[in-house]
Amino acid sequence: MDDAAQHITCQEVVELVTDYLESALPADEAALFEQHLNFCDGCVIYVDQIRRTVATVGHIREEDVPDETREKLLTAFREWKRS
Amino acid sequence: MTAAVGTQETDLLARLRAGDERAFTALVDRNYGTMLAVAQTYVKSRAVAEEVVQETWLGVLKGLDRFEGRSSLKTWIFSILVNVAKTRGVREARSVPYASLAPEGEEAAVEPGRFRRPETSFPGHWQAYPRDWRGLPEEALLERETLAVVTRTIEALPPAQRMVITMRDVAGCTAEEVCEALDVTDGNQRVLLHRARSRVRAALERHLDG
Repeated sequence: MDDAAQHITCQEVVELVTDYLESALPADEAALFEQHLNFCDGCVIYVDQIRRTVATVGHIREEDVPDETREKLLTAFREWKRS
Repeated sequence: MTAAVGTQETDLLARLRAGDERAFTALVDRNYGTMLAVAQTYVKSRAVAEEVVQETWLGVLKGLDRFEGRSSLKTWIFSILVNVAKTRGVREARSVPYASLAPEGEEAAVEPGRFRRPETSFPGHWQAYPRDWRGLPEEALLERETLAVVTRTIEALPPAQRMVITMRDVAGCTAEEVCEALDVTDGNQRVLLHRARSRVRAALERHLDG
């Protein structure tokens, strides 16, 4: 391996972060990723931002079922139960 | 593939089969938004997407007694949804489905201008660090306005990205559930999730720094 292959840049970190969080990086790349975080505060911040983004997305309110639809489906459920 | 049906699901299934209306409406409520987002990837209008969701539930009822739990209940419901939506999409002569789930082109997670250029020292490193959100008050990310930014950003995402982030990060599906229900590869699922999360992060950054 040459020198260039033994470290990754910040610009690469921001592209690998999802694979890293999903545990989808091969072991050697995951090691490089973690090594980078050891000396780069900017990327530590970035990875934290992504984690907080994911957590925030988990808090958005999903659309409610329109009453009419709920009624319709409940009727279908009752009919199904009877059949 | 691991056995997907846990105790909680066995319970839920038993209640549904016994005709428990509250269990049924809770299940409908919990999945409606995500189902709508997925359906809208395949059909043109919102009205048709709503019909697809309704038709899906009828399909679920029809198959419920025969459901064997080889996949999770959620995966099974979303597979039915995708089938119904694809059929409707084809009938509407909008036969995008499968191809459009493959991520298109290249997309940078962060604007290239934020990194040092190739001819400089430390190319590819941050020009200036992003702002540290750990310094923000805890509620900052959960304020109504912030959540509205996230909602709008997700709504404006390309459909395949929107569908994946909604299933994964809003509805809490696993990667496996998404791949199985939508018939996408694990790699493509991850690329779509990555692009979607990167765009939402960028929107949050603009909102919080703005």
